Amino acid sequence: MTTKRGALYLARLAMVVLVATACSMSSTSQGGGGGTGAMRTSMSEPAGAGNDWMTYHGSYQSWHYSPLTEINPDNIKRLQVAWVHHPGRSTRGLQSMPLVADGVLYYTGSYSRVWALDAATGKPIWSYFPKLNDDLVAAQTHSPYTRGIALGQGKVFVGTVDGRLIALDMKTGRPAWDTKLVNSEKLTVGFTGAPLFVKDKVIIGSQGGEWPGRGPIFGVDAASGRKVWEFLTVAGTEESKKTWGNDSWRTGGGGGWMAGGYDAESNTVWWGTGNPAPLYDWAGFEWKTTGPRPGDNLFTTAVIALDPDNGRLKFYHQELPHDAWDFDSAVGEFVMLERDGKKLVVHPNKGGHVFVYDRKDASIVNVWQLTKHINFVKSIDPKTGALIGRRDLPLGKHTNLCPAIAGGMSWNSGAYSPKTGLYYKIGQEWCMDLEVIKTTPVLEPQAQLDIGANFKLRNPEGDKAHGHLSARDPVTGAKKWEVMFPEPPLASLLATGGNLVFVPDPRGMLRAYDAQSGKEVWSHNNGIGHNGGIISFAAKGKQYIAVATGWGSLVGDEFGELFGEPYKSMPKDAGAIVVFTLE
Amino acid sequence: MIRILALTVALSLGPAVAWAQDRAAEAAQIFASTCGFCHQDGGRAAGRGPKLAGTDRPDDYLLNRIRVGKEGAMPAFGRAFSEAQLRALVVYIRSLKDDAR
Repeated sequence: MTTKRGALYLARLAMVVLVATACSMSSTSQGGGGGTGAMRTSMSEPAGAGNDWMTYHGSYQSWHYSPLTEINPDNIKRLQVAWVHHPGRSTRGLQSMPLVADGVLYYTGSYSRVWALDAATGKPIWSYFPKLNDDLVAAQTHSPYTRGIALGQGKVFVGTVDGRLIALDMKTGRPAWDTKLVNSEKLTVGFTGAPLFVKDKVIIGSQGGEWPGRGPIFGVDAASGRKVWEFLTVAGTEESKKTWGNDSWRTGGGGGWMAGGYDAESNTVWWGTGNPAPLYDWAGFEWKTTGPRPGDNLFTTAVIALDPDNGRLKFYHQELPHDAWDFDSAVGEFVMLERDGKKLVVHPNKGGHVFVYDRKDASIVNVWQLTKHINFVKSIDPKTGALIGRRDLPLGKHTNLCPAIAGGMSWNSGAYSPKTGLYYKIGQEWCMDLEVIKTTPVLEPQAQLDIGANFKLRNPEGDKAHGHLSARDPVTGAKKWEVMFPEPPLASLLATGGNLVFVPDPRGMLRAYDAQSGKEVWSHNNGIGHNGGIISFAAKGKQYIAVATGWGSLVGDEFGELFGEPYKSMPKDAGAIVVFTLE
Repeated sequence: MIRILALTVALSLGPAVAWAQDRAAEAAQIFASTCGFCHQDGGRAAGRGPKLAGTDRPDDYLLNRIRVGKEGAMPAFGRAFSEAQLRALVVYIRSLKDDAR
């Protein structure tokens, strides 16, 4: 990166207000990469990142959309591999979202190995492999994947599974600071999700869920690495402590293990939180008064709005009060858009419903159902968000709970195209049988998973487990088109200004669809399943698509038994970045 | 004499049986809180991890695998659980009925 480019980059990062329409760059590929475009976009611009892809969800609005138009349904037949990069040691596959700034592609692999590559050629510029606590990593379940990085103030920020947040110089890869935030040696969990860079802070959420801790989210000074604030997703306020009977907040779980979104206009960070621990609750119907965690268990399985300057809670909505099914709100994007003069945010919940909120206070605008097989509740009131007909699970055996523990949606993101006005999202149809068992949390010498049931995934009654991609109105859920998959795709989606939607599928095919009609227009075999990110960017005047390959996420681990081949023999220690462009 | 011997055996077996029962219950609980996340249906069926019921692996192999894990596939529990708990888990695995599901 030249000094001029660096200055441009810093200037762009400083733009946290919406860029005036007049200033927005052309969405063709002619603007050129490497900072040569006349006007550059910032990550807070709703149209996405233009030539670049500077934050996990593509932009603060979480659209996973690139406005680039060079590649389109008419010429996509000429889309071919431009370059490939193998990071090595891709344990559990490459699960991360690459980022691009000024013609350089940055990404992290398993064990938080970070690479900077020439975005047009794949030529390595620098790499950084942090030294991790190997004994700790060997004892972790939700490890050693790292799902993404953040860029800002000329640095690359990456979390580690042993509880650190590291800043690297964008030009050299040399560490600027390395801050230990979580006592992972005791709590076992650390960071796997991408950080979010906002103003002068790096925000990152700890793992949690069925891990007995309090799942903190941190605000760290981007310049110095100093921790500025910490918000506890479990009983983070005195009031919320009352929603955890018998001091159960001490081992409540929670966490915020995926990057959230940022509403620059109101200076609000939106973040989703994980489920409470233990995951299943033998109190069954009597969860309000007895069992391992009596009460609503705030702020687990909730969306929370934080002030990025001080970490103070502005407002929240708990999607599933007293979640007894592992249907996190930590999954999913925060799609920000406007409808009828109202500023909205659309957020998918792992249980299979999509929540639409008013951005001013997280009040419910609508709730719609993405997946067919749901019986953990009869419905969710679209006006209030209240759960109707909860299926609580007392001690003992239960059959055909839908969706299964892997959820109606998983943690990878859907996409929204402002051109079609459609929201593209993968749904997962599967169920499970389970036996709820009483457990006690293990905290010494090192915290252990607290599940509280034995379970087995199965086909839904009268159906076969499968997945689907649908294109819908993001506010009403009205379906425009749908494509069925024999097994649910587990990777993120990408929408582009060239009227395309890309789906990296689990068998290893990268597929492209006409964004309007849903017609498949292109596919390419990457030779291994996908469970990571996909982006588009421009470098040296050309548009590129970059996808992470590799298989072996905890959800993907279910596929071998449920679906047989090719999953039974699919490697779980491989993965690469594969980059495409028009020949 | 025989009667006294029988009584002695019964007296000493009593606590032993109770101790073994406690251990078995504890192992089942540890399994449901931690191991069952991957070894499904309490270890009776394959899922994320292999089925354990009816395994032909020797005890020492099972003990070692639980202790040190397998990179990228199974965590190491050597630090998490006591030797008695680890052995109780092996007894639990051996007790699982293999109904070929």
